[in-house]
Amino acid sequence: MDYSNLRRQIISMKKSLFDQGYLDEQFNQLEELQDDSSPNFVEEVVALFFKDSSRLLTNIERALEKYPQDFYRLDSLAHQFKGSGSSIGALRMKNECSMFKAHCSDRNLEGCRRSLQKMKREHATLKQKLETYFQLLRQVGPRERAVNSWK
Amino acid sequence: MASKKQGSATRALVVEDIKVDCVILLRMLRKLNCEATVAHNGKEAVDLFLEGKTFDIVFFDKDMPLMTGPEAVTKIRSMGATDVKMVGVSADYGGMEAFMRAGADMFVPKPMKLETLDSMLQEVIGKKNTSG
Repeated sequence: MDYSNLRRQIISMKKSLFDQGYLDEQFNQLEELQDDSSPNFVEEVVALFFKDSSRLLTNIERALEKYPQDFYRLDSLAHQFKGSGSSIGALRMKNECSMFKAHCSDRNLEGCRRSLQKMKREHATLKQKLETYFQLLRQVGPRERAVNSWK
Repeated sequence: MASKKQGSATRALVVEDIKVDCVILLRMLRKLNCEATVAHNGKEAVDLFLEGKTFDIVFFDKDMPLMTGPEAVTKIRSMGATDVKMVGVSADYGGMEAFMRAGADMFVPKPMKLETLDSMLQEVIGKKNTSG
């Protein structure tokens, strides 16, 4: 297997995720928590995030469809999403959550609806990009992954 | 990196209902040689203190089912737990006032950095070494 080419792809992909604003420094922090005792830590945490956040997005969508809208609950759901998104370094999603919360504060239903669509798109895009990233990482094996040489 | 007094690991309680955030904070605490316990909401945290459990530092998320972080801080402080360091954590600065009013020692916005956590733990260890 051509490891040097694979490493180049991984580094390039990660740089692109940062340059395009999908990820921020917090993702690097997560990678620094990964070691031989937890070689798959980042991938496991990210998988956990996407599982929980998919459910949150569904709950937000349902809450938006109710009448009258409970903006306090919507804000609370978005707050949860923002917290866990920022914990994995999902910068664009964190920012969109802030926008959603601002619309809740203004009781702007249309704004919330538009923001939710953006959140869903960002969520799907980041999920796909990170799945590809982790697929590449898996190809180099756990020992190389745990070394944290992808900065 | 925070080191422990011989034979006395720092005991942390993480009060958090969001699994992702809990897993990350636990990993950070273990990396810094802390013993960590988890409560999934404020009520579970209060129950631990009622059972007589003691901790050196407690991290509270703000919004949780059954009992929020600030509510749990108020309750635990009123039970006489004045020495334990209590840290409020939330996704933005919106929760800071509620935590500080409730009696928390400090507030940290998510995501918490390892360096920030390390310096908090060093302070706790320093106090333990002075009083112990």
